[in-house]
Amino acid sequence: MPRLKSEIRTIVFEAVIVVIVGFGLALLANELSPRGLALSRNYFPTGPNQASAPPKPIQALPGAASTNEPSEAEQISERLHDKGLQELKLDQVETRFHDPRSQDGRIVFVDARDPDHYQEGHIPGAYELDPYHSEKEFGVVLPVCQLAEAVVVYCTGGDCEDGDTTAILLRDAGIPNQKLFVYGGGFTAWETNHLPVETGPRNSGLRANPK
Amino acid sequence: MTANPKTWKGKTLETGAVLARWAVGALFIYMGMKKAMHPVEFLKLVRQYEMVHTPFLLNSIAAGLPWFETFCGILLLAGIAVRGTALTLVGVLIPFTGLVLHRALVLQSLRAIPFCAVKFDCGCGAGEVFICGKLTENVILILLSCWLVAGFGRALSARHTLFHKSVE
Repeated sequence: MPRLKSEIRTIVFEAVIVVIVGFGLALLANELSPRGLALSRNYFPTGPNQASAPPKPIQALPGAASTNEPSEAEQISERLHDKGLQELKLDQVETRFHDPRSQDGRIVFVDARDPDHYQEGHIPGAYELDPYHSEKEFGVVLPVCQLAEAVVVYCTGGDCEDGDTTAILLRDAGIPNQKLFVYGGGFTAWETNHLPVETGPRNSGLRANPK
Repeated sequence: MTANPKTWKGKTLETGAVLARWAVGALFIYMGMKKAMHPVEFLKLVRQYEMVHTPFLLNSIAAGLPWFETFCGILLLAGIAVRGTALTLVGVLIPFTGLVLHRALVLQSLRAIPFCAVKFDCGCGAGEVFICGKLTENVILILLSCWLVAGFGRALSARHTLFHKSVE
């Protein structure tokens, strides 16, 4: 019995050492990794009406929800409203895209998805601004947004909150809320509706085949 | 707490335990590195569990856990501090399995579908998975880790126990 107790103590002590050394090395690896997270940064800034709560899962399975349940579009609208953000629907975004002011920078599109998705396809002329690695692009995008009359931010759509996060980052950086809009349907709805898509870097002139 | 390595049964058990140690170690390295390569995606998934709301704590978990899993996987594969590492994994896996189960129940009630049809990305490093498969996998991992805590899987270990000379 005393031997068993001593063995258990040894195992627990060993586990404590593994935890301490392991977490120390893990945080060091995060510091050294180019993809590492900044520990003190708030990656999920919130609006005035919302606590720092995680996203509610969208109930989007057809036929599963009762008719009293809000639709996916209604849930997105509610989420944006809670964050104090203005939403644009697909037809409104399309109107702004075809507006001549989008050609001279008075209407600006901002893509909040990660660089890989941006390169695969984005709304033509949209600026890239990944909110989690915004240090690089922020210096370029912020002055453009300051000069614009309207800024339309989007990500994938649905559950994706990166567009909301980017819009809040821009708002916190001084872009007035009245000219900030989030396109809730996101790039998925844009692409599904066979609207123009540009691949590669911004203004590359490369157009993807409509899906 | 270990099998007699001189008997056929003991040899079989020991070989099985070494293979289990390697399998658990390799799985943790694979899952850990997949998450470590995409820390932002993992951060978003950790946030969904609503465990912590302070950015510093949330970021520390999302930044540290993937590398920590990788570290534990390396220790098991190399056979260093095996029992302590396996105990740590049990300590991580049990609450995590509880969290996954809780989230699956929430999603089941929201989507009004059978429990085993619930599919979501639990932040385990394997993308979207069906809940019943995930729970089975976790139970197996917990049992294998408990087996290693009991002292099996000593063969081919660099330093099975940190504070005593390894008994071969």
